[in-house]
Amino acid sequence: MAPPAQSHRSPSPSQPSGKGEVSDLKMQLRQLAGSRAPGTDDSKRELFKKVISYMTIGIDVSSVFSEMVMCSATSDIVLKKMCYLYVGNYARYNPDLSLLTINFLQRDCKDEDPMIRGLALRSLCTLRVANLVEYLVGPLGSGLKDGNSYVRMVAAVGVLKLYHISSSTCMDADFPVTLKHLMLNDPDAQVVANCLCALQEIWSLEATTSEEASREREVLLSKPVIYYLLNRIKEFSEWAQCIVLELVSKYVPTDSNEIFDIMNLLEDRLQHANGAVVLATVKVFLQLTLSLTDTHQQVYERIKAPLLTQVSSGSPEQSYAVLSHLHLLVMRAPILFSTDYKHFYCQYNEPFYVKKLKLEMLTAVANESNTYEIVTELCEYAANVDIPMARESIRAVGKIALQQYDVNAIVDRLLQFLEMEKDYVTAETLVLVKDLLRKYPQWSHDCIAVVGNISSKNVQEPKAKAALIWMLGEYAQDMQDAPYVLESLAENWDDEHSAEVRLHLLTAVLKCFVRRPPETQKALGAALAAGLSDFHQDVHDRALFYYRLLQYKVSVAEGVVNPPKQAVSVFADTQSSEIKDRIFDEFNSLAVVYQKPSYMFTDKEHRGPFAFSEELGNLSIGAESAENIVSAQRVDANDQDLLLSTSEKEESRGPSNNGSAYSAPSYDSSAPLVASHAQSELVSLDQTLPQAPQAIDDLLGLSFAVTPTPAASPPPLRLNAKAVLDPNTFQQKWRQLPVSISQEGSVTPQGVAALTTPQALLRHMQGHFIHCIASGGQAPNFKFFFFAQKAEESSTFLVECIINSSSCKAQIKIKADDQGTSHAFVALFQSALSSFGMS
Amino acid sequence: MPVAASAIYFLNLRGDVLINRLYRDDVGGNMVDAFRMHIMQTKELGTCPVRQIGGCSFFYMRISNVYIVIVVSSNANVACAFKFVVEAVALFKSYFGGSFDEDAIRNNFVLIYELLDEIMDFGYPQNLSPEILKLYITQEGVRSPFSTKPADKPVPNATLQVTGAVGWRREGLVYKKNEVFLDIVESVNLLMSSKGSVLRCDVTGKILMKCFLSGMPDLKLGLNDKIGLEKESQLKSRPTKSGKTIELDDVTFHQCVNLTRFNSEKTVSFVPPDGEFELMKYRITEGVNLPFRVLPTIKELGRTRMEVNVKVKSVFGAKMFALGVVIKIPVPKQTAKTSFQVTSGRAKYNASIDCLVWKIRKFPGQTEPTLSAEVELISTIAEKKSWTRPPIQMEFQGNMGYINMSQIP
Repeated sequence: MAPPAQSHRSPSPSQPSGKGEVSDLKMQLRQLAGSRAPGTDDSKRELFKKVISYMTIGIDVSSVFSEMVMCSATSDIVLKKMCYLYVGNYARYNPDLSLLTINFLQRDCKDEDPMIRGLALRSLCTLRVANLVEYLVGPLGSGLKDGNSYVRMVAAVGVLKLYHISSSTCMDADFPVTLKHLMLNDPDAQVVANCLCALQEIWSLEATTSEEASREREVLLSKPVIYYLLNRIKEFSEWAQCIVLELVSKYVPTDSNEIFDIMNLLEDRLQHANGAVVLATVKVFLQLTLSLTDTHQQVYERIKAPLLTQVSSGSPEQSYAVLSHLHLLVMRAPILFSTDYKHFYCQYNEPFYVKKLKLEMLTAVANESNTYEIVTELCEYAANVDIPMARESIRAVGKIALQQYDVNAIVDRLLQFLEMEKDYVTAETLVLVKDLLRKYPQWSHDCIAVVGNISSKNVQEPKAKAALIWMLGEYAQDMQDAPYVLESLAENWDDEHSAEVRLHLLTAVLKCFVRRPPETQKALGAALAAGLSDFHQDVHDRALFYYRLLQYKVSVAEGVVNPPKQAVSVFADTQSSEIKDRIFDEFNSLAVVYQKPSYMFTDKEHRGPFAFSEELGNLSIGAESAENIVSAQRVDANDQDLLLSTSEKEESRGPSNNGSAYSAPSYDSSAPLVASHAQSELVSLDQTLPQAPQAIDDLLGLSFAVTPTPAASPPPLRLNAKAVLDPNTFQQKWRQLPVSISQEGSVTPQGVAALTTPQALLRHMQGHFIHCIASGGQAPNFKFFFFAQKAEESSTFLVECIINSSSCKAQIKIKADDQGTSHAFVALFQSALSSFGMS
Repeated sequence: MPVAASAIYFLNLRGDVLINRLYRDDVGGNMVDAFRMHIMQTKELGTCPVRQIGGCSFFYMRISNVYIVIVVSSNANVACAFKFVVEAVALFKSYFGGSFDEDAIRNNFVLIYELLDEIMDFGYPQNLSPEILKLYITQEGVRSPFSTKPADKPVPNATLQVTGAVGWRREGLVYKKNEVFLDIVESVNLLMSSKGSVLRCDVTGKILMKCFLSGMPDLKLGLNDKIGLEKESQLKSRPTKSGKTIELDDVTFHQCVNLTRFNSEKTVSFVPPDGEFELMKYRITEGVNLPFRVLPTIKELGRTRMEVNVKVKSVFGAKMFALGVVIKIPVPKQTAKTSFQVTSGRAKYNASIDCLVWKIRKFPGQTEPTLSAEVELISTIAEKKSWTRPPIQMEFQGNMGYINMSQIP
C-alpha cells in the first residue's frame, strides 16, 4: 500500500490546497455509494483512507459529509470504523447533516455483533451535538443492559459523555442510578472501573448544585463501596487500579485496624511494574496514615525503595514524573532520606530536568553527617562543561552553605570556584558569596580577600556584577582599591545596560564615600552626575535622592545607606506550608510536578502571565473560530479565552455572522481613557526633571493623534527597509503598549483573489517596508501580525490585521512606540493594503 | 478526578500532525499550534517534558523521529499519562513489527486510529494488552520490509473476551513446540576512582521472557536461594555481609505475577502473556561482584594528540568466558585519525557515536587484553571548551544459552 499521505507532507494547515482533490473524492464517493459490485469495499477503503489522511493533516473535508454517510451502509468493519471516526470529527460542525448519521448508528447499535454494537454506541456518544441527545438515551439505556461486557464498558463511558453534552438529559434518564447498580454488580472489572470514573465525575460536578449529588459522592467513599472495590482490586487492569486507588486514598477509615488492613491488602501493589499504580498506592498509604505519626514515618521507609526503583527504570520522562513525587516527599521529610543521598547523585546521561530535581533533593537532604560528601559530588558537577548544570550545582552548594552545615569547608570550596576563572562559575559564585555574607558576616575576611582579586571587567552578568558592586560598597574599608574600582565603573556609566547594576553602583559609591570620603569623592561626583541624567526613572530618582540627602546632611545620608544591620537569618523565598500541604493532598497529579496547587493552573484567574502569548501562538485558531462559533460549545469558549482577549472575540465573531454590519472600531472607547491617563501623568510629573517636557509631548501627541482631524499634517513618514524585530520583543511590546489606533480598511477584490496564498500579501507589504512576524487562518478569515520601524530612529509600529476575504474588509489595530506618528503610519499601511493585488 | 489525557497528538520533527485524537472537549482542536509555537520552535524543547501553556498542560515524549504529545486541561495524573504513552508505543510496535517512526505511522494511520479508539475512552486508559486487542482490531499492521517476523498469524475470531481473570492472555493458544526463552539484562552503572577502586556501583536488571506455550500454563520461576529481599533497615543492622547472598534492593513484577505468592513463598508464579514481555525488574546497590575491571589511562598530549590505553581484566573463573564483548571508549568530537594496537579482538573508530569500539568475540576469564590507541585531533580555535570525558561503556553476554521446555503441565 502506498502511503496515502506521502504527497501531502508539506502543506501547512493554513493553505487550503487540495480543494480540487476533495471534490474529486466527492465524485468518486458518490459513484461508489450505490454500487454493489464486488471489490467496492476495497476501493471504498482506499477512498476513506484518503479522506482521513486529509482530515489528519488539517485539510477541511467536511464537504464530503453526506457522501461519507451514504457510503457507510456496509458490513465491512474497517470501513465502519473509519466512517465513525470521520463522523465523530465533523458532526459538531454539521449539526444538520449529522442527523443523517443517527439513523445508521442507531441501526448498528442493534447489530448482532457486539463489537459493532459497541463501536456504534461509542461513535453515537462522540457526536457532541446538543440537539441530538434525545437519540442517545435509548441506545445508551439498552447498552448498559447489554449482555456483552464490551458494550456495557462503552456504554458506561457513554453516559459520562452524555452528561458533558447535556447534564439534564443524563440526570432525567436516571443513568447514574443504573451506573451505580452496574458498578456494584457487574462481573467485568473494566465495566466496574468505567462506571466508577463516570460516577465520580458526574457526582462531583453535580455536587455544587444538588445536595443529593454530594450525598451520592459521599456514598462512593463509604465503607461498603470501598471494601467491595478493594476486594476486587486484582481483577482490575493496571489503569483501572489507579482509579480505584485514587478513590481509596480519599477514604477515611474509622479506626487504625482498618488502616492496617487496607495497607496489608495493598502492600504488594508497591511491586507493580506500572509506576502509576505504585504512585497511587503510595498516595493511599500516605493519606491513610496522616493521623498516625509513627506509622506515617514507617510508610516513608517502606515506599522509598519502590519509588527509587521506578525512578531508575523506564524513560527519562517517566522517571521525571516519579522523581517529582519523590522530591515532594524529600522536601517534607528530608531527615528520612538523609542516608539515601547517593541515590540522588546525577548520572552522566540523564537529561537536565532530572538532574535539576536531583540537585534540589541533594540540597534538601544535606545534614551534618553527609554534607562533606554531597558537596564534594556537587563540586564535580560544577566543573561540568554543561553550563546550566554547573550553575545549578554552584547554587546548590550555596544553598547548603546557607543551611548552616559545615560552612567552613564550603566557603573554601566556593572560593575555589572563583579561582576556576570560568565566567559563568565566577558569576554564580559571586551571587552566592553575597548571600552568604549577608547571613554570616563573620566570613567577610576570607571572602573579601578573594573577591578583591576579581576584576570587574571579567564579570558581565548583571546579577553577578550587582553582587560584586554590593560587596565593594559594603566592605569598602577592607578592600584597598574599592574606591578606584567604583570610580572606573562610574566613569563607564553608559556601558552599563542593566538598571539593577546602576542602582547598586549608586548605593555602593555612597557607602564607600561615607567611609573613605577623600578617595571616593571623585567617583561619587561621576556617579551622581551620570545618575541624574540617566533615562531610567528609578536610577534617576535614586541619584536625585542621594544628591539632596548629601546636600542636607552627610550624616543622615550615612544613616540611610549604612545603618547598623543584623545578619539575615532566613531568606524569604520559601513556600508557605499551607501551599505545601495542598500540593501534598494532590499527590499523584500535575500539581506535584508544577510544585503548585491545582487551582493555580486550572483556574482562569490564576493563569495571568500567559494570556497574551497565547494570542500570538494560536493565530490560526483565532481565525477559524469564526467558523466554528456557530456551535459555540465549551471547547470554543475555552479555546478562545485562551487565545483572544474578549474584545477580539467579539470582532472575529462579527464578520462570520454578517460581514457588512460592522460595529464601530473600538478606539473611541479607548482614546479618552488614554488621554485622561496622560493628563494625570502630566500633573504628577515634576517640572524640574530634564526629560519631562518630552514625555509630555509624547503623551499629548497621542491624544491629538486619535482625534478625527489631526492638527497639523505630520512630516512624511519614512520606514526602515531592513527592520528587524524578534518575536519575543514583539510579544512584549504588544503586551505593554496601548492600542493607539484601531480602524477598518478595505482590500481590493483583486487583492482578495491573490490572498489564496497569504505569502503574496506578505511580499507586497514587505515592498512597503512593513514586515510580517506571524500569520495564520483559513478562508475567509486571515490574521496577520506586522511590524515596521521608522527610518531614522528605532521606533516601531506593531499591527494586527484581520482580513475577511468574503467581505473584502480589513480590520487593523496599531500599537506604536511613538504614538505621535501612528496616524501617519496608519495612512501608509492602508494605502499599502488597498493597493495590494494591483502591483 | 484525574484523567490521563484530553487529546493526543503524534507530530513529526517539523511539527506536522501525523495523528491527532481528541478524547475530551475541554481542550481545543488546535492546541498543537500552541505546542509548536511555544515548545518546538523555542529552546524549551527538551528542557522539561511537562509544560503549561495557558490553561493546558502538555506532556511530550520523543520516540525515534516522532513526538507524542498529550494535552490536558485538568489536574491530570502525569505518571499514568507517560506510562500510557510508553505502553501504547509498545503496542504499536507489536503491530508494525518492531519499528515505530514517522513512516510506520504514515503507513498505518488507520490502524493507529482504531487502536487509539480502543485503548483510551474519554481520557481514561482502557485495555492495552496486545493479546486482547488483537481480538477486535481486525487489521494487520503494515510491516516494514526489513522486519523478520512473519505476518501470517491466524485471523482471530471476533468473539469478545475483553476482560476476565486473565486479561493479558487469550484462550485456545496452540503451539507445536512449547518454548520459553529467558533473558536477563542488567545494566551496571559504575564509578571508579583513578586508582581503580569502585566508588559507586548500582545495577538495574530485568528478566525478559518470550513464551510460546499452549493453553493456560501456570509457570513458576524459582529464584536462587541466595537471593534475599530484605528491607533496608534490616540490612543495615547486620554487622557483616556474608559474601554469598545477593541482596536485591527492590523488585517489581509484570502484572501477570501473583504478588502475594511471591511474598510468602519467594517463587514467582504467573500465567504468562503470549510472546515477549518483561517479567520482572530489580535493583541492587550493595555487594555487586563485577566480572570485569576496566582500567583506562587517557593522556592529552598537547592540543592535537591523545593517547588512550585501556586494560580490561576479567576477574571470573578461568574456565568461563563472556561472549560478544563490546567496549565503547568515547573520544572528542574533533577526532581526525586513530591508530590502534590490541592484544585481542578488533577495534575501530566509529565517527557517528564519537567512540572507539573494541569488540572481542570470546573473552575467557582471568585474562587482561589491552588496547592502546593514538588519537589525532583537528585543532580548532573555537573549541575552547574542555572535553567532557563521558563514561566508557561495555556490553557482553553470559553463556547461558536457552532452555527448551517441552514438558510443561
